[in-house]
Amino acid sequence: MARNFFTMMRSSAPAATAAPAASEQRSERAAPSPPSPPPANMKEAAAAGVGVHLDPNLEAVRHDFTEEIEMALQLREVSAFYGSFQAIDKMTMPIPQNRVTALIGPSGCGKSTLLRCFNRMNDLIPGARIEGEIMFEGRNLIDPNVDAVEVRRRIGMVFQKPNPFPKSIYENVAFGARINGYSGDMDRLVEDSLRRAALWDEVKDELDKSGLALSGGQQQRLCIARAIAVQPEIILMDEPASALDPVATLKIEDLMRELAEHYTIVVVTHNMQQAGRVSDYTAFLLAGEERVGRLVEFGPTQEIFTNPLDQRTEDYITGRYG
Amino acid sequence: MSAAIPTAGITPFAPRIRARRGLSVGFMVIALLAITASMLMLGALIVEILVDGAAQVFTDGSSTVAEVRGETLIDLPTPENMNWLAWAMPVAILLPFLGLRVVRSLIADIPALAERAIGFATTLPVALFVHILYVRFESAYYIEYAKAIGVDGASGNIVQLFGEASGFQFVRLIVAGLILPLGIIAAGWFWSSRLRRPSLLLPGIAIAAWVVYLFLDPFFLSSYPSRLPVQAGIFSAITGTLYMMVITAAVAFPLGVGAAIYLEEYARRNWFSRMIQVNISNLAGVPSIIYGLLGLQVFVRVLEFERSVLAGACTMALLVMPIIIVSAQEALRTVPPSMREAAYAVGATRWQVVRFHVLPYAFGGMLTGNILAMSRAIGETAPLIAIGALTFIAFLADSPTDDFTVMPIQVFNWVTRPQSGFHEIAASGIIILMLVLLVMNAAAIIMRQRTRTDW
Ligand SMILES: Nc1ncnc2c1ncn2[C@@H]1O[C@H](COP(=O)(O)OP(=O)(O)OP(=O)(O)O)[C@@H](O)[C@H]1O
Ligand SMILES: [Mg+2]
Repeated sequence: MARNFFTMMRSSAPAATAAPAASEQRSERAAPSPPSPPPANMKEAAAAGVGVHLDPNLEAVRHDFTEEIEMALQLREVSAFYGSFQAIDKMTMPIPQNRVTALIGPSGCGKSTLLRCFNRMNDLIPGARIEGEIMFEGRNLIDPNVDAVEVRRRIGMVFQKPNPFPKSIYENVAFGARINGYSGDMDRLVEDSLRRAALWDEVKDELDKSGLALSGGQQQRLCIARAIAVQPEIILMDEPASALDPVATLKIEDLMRELAEHYTIVVVTHNMQQAGRVSDYTAFLLAGEERVGRLVEFGPTQEIFTNPLDQRTEDYITGRYG
Repeated sequence: MSAAIPTAGITPFAPRIRARRGLSVGFMVIALLAITASMLMLGALIVEILVDGAAQVFTDGSSTVAEVRGETLIDLPTPENMNWLAWAMPVAILLPFLGLRVVRSLIADIPALAERAIGFATTLPVALFVHILYVRFESAYYIEYAKAIGVDGASGNIVQLFGEASGFQFVRLIVAGLILPLGIIAAGWFWSSRLRRPSLLLPGIAIAAWVVYLFLDPFFLSSYPSRLPVQAGIFSAITGTLYMMVITAAVAFPLGVGAAIYLEEYARRNWFSRMIQVNISNLAGVPSIIYGLLGLQVFVRVLEFERSVLAGACTMALLVMPIIIVSAQEALRTVPPSMREAAYAVGATRWQVVRFHVLPYAFGGMLTGNILAMSRAIGETAPLIAIGALTFIAFLADSPTDDFTVMPIQVFNWVTRPQSGFHEIAASGIIILMLVLLVMNAAAIIMRQRTRTDW
């Protein structure tokens, strides 16, 4: 077994004590999958029908999906720090393009931190620091030479708590486009974005109303419209439905599925059913005793939910753990 | 790799804003009436000032006030020696802004119009108050006149004057003394009903103003200092205070807000910014006389502003700067981090975040802090004594380099006089100073209420 894997095992006392045997078993099951040399690209590998292991050191990351797909982001050994505290440790995984990827894991395991690495949001926190590589269109977006403002324009974000600006609905949507020098038909862009966020029909007669006057669910869809209006390639969502009722939650989930046709979506969620319903890929993160978050397993949601490689994943998904 | 943005399948664009329906017509009518009334009132006021001139307004058959005045000892201010232009300037600057707001709301949409019309109508009290002061000023002549022809009207009691007033003047006095104050109350009531929590504050202020108006000797408000207590007034001190406050705010507010924005939004949290922060807090505790000595050396002597309004205002600006900075910082901190994050997340630069989000949301709080700082400055005496503000000013300052006096200095001077008459008018002066402070603090509270956002 790879060294990383055991480090992870040791760092996670509950799993190690609760089900050591089971872990062994899982490890053995994972072992037979041969660490074949990394193929030149995913398509080739998928066409050949072989499991793809970009990094043979990380059994946790499954690349044996047969889908022919490109990667929007490729993480290599990404670590994040708040001052001297390390929040996530050496995560390596891909984010598939035009798919919904869910980040799941217990509270404090670094899901939000990881998400905020993707659009350099952590730059805004004094003392926060990222190491490693996040490749986006051939560039490492963590590189200080890469303009964080540009990154954020192309990788949008929707927050856990709806946070519309205390301005009109129209202004909320138009703001991002305007400051980015959008010169096209602003009315049209606002309408498009609101339609795509499934909010247009509810607000089309009162675009001058304050964004704060909407319901929580509507506010969240407004925030999604605001993110879409900048025409990003990736949309990050941090528990976008956690403050919403079941109906509004379903609306947001439907929306995510629709948006996945045009955008890459990364969503953090605590709701296993939601992750199962909405995502194509799932990454399971876990923090050990020293509170450092690590990637336990990444793969197609179907696989993660029905046939996880790691015992801790199964325990978490079935609700026995975390 | 980048996803194309498909726009097909979306139906063509429909008109952006449709007027909200269900608007109460009565509401609109009242708002429009209020606007019309306040416009007419302002117009009349301006016409009166420009065309008639106060001295000509009160003529009674054979003799004019001006003629009567020749027989009296009191040297009343006349429109000729009052620099109306100095007072018309701020109005001329403000009016286009107000007009612009109304015009903009006229073309935008109707509910916003109604809302802003009410807002505009609430500027009515200001216009009315100016008008009242003006009519009071006129009635000063009338009282003189009454005194000269032997009627006991010297106390300024309107009722006593009515007996001698002609029909036209009677109507004017009724309008000035009754209808206008009631108008203020009504307008104030309207405004407060637009507040989140309706309050009686504004009507209360209006009533207080009315009471003061009825009972205060008009000479006191409109006269210059004198060696006789009965003839001494606080006019030059009031105007001097206002003049100095305007310049102080103009200097201190932009600098203070700029410093606060730098400290809150730009500065890294290192020893340098911490040192600045600590020093600002310390400066807020430095005795004001020390600012006076600093002002004396720097503004009066080195920069050669002399003992002018400008020197006083700059000294005051230094004095209140720490208060403005700290309160502006607090206002900035009330803007939730989530607002900044939201703006950053759509690709805003730091300046865009500050300019379009943080600053607008914090501005109300900053203005509140500014008003509170100003009300501190209004009561300060020591630094102005240190820079040598005068106590006997028998004219109005019409440029920032003129000599000046302010209310607390005037009061201080009267208190130190031996005659008991001066002690009485010192008390009156203090009441007026308190009233000004009350109004400013009330304005700060109202502004805080009105600009609060529930995040
Ligand atoms: N601004 C910060 N400064 C210091 N430490 C932080 C900061 N934000 C998060 N952390 C720490 O980083 C770790 C990961 O936090 P993070 O918010 O990423 O967790 P999470 O997985 O999103 O949790 P949750 O599911 O509760 O949202 C936690 O231990 C947390 O205490
Ligand atoms: Mg989180």
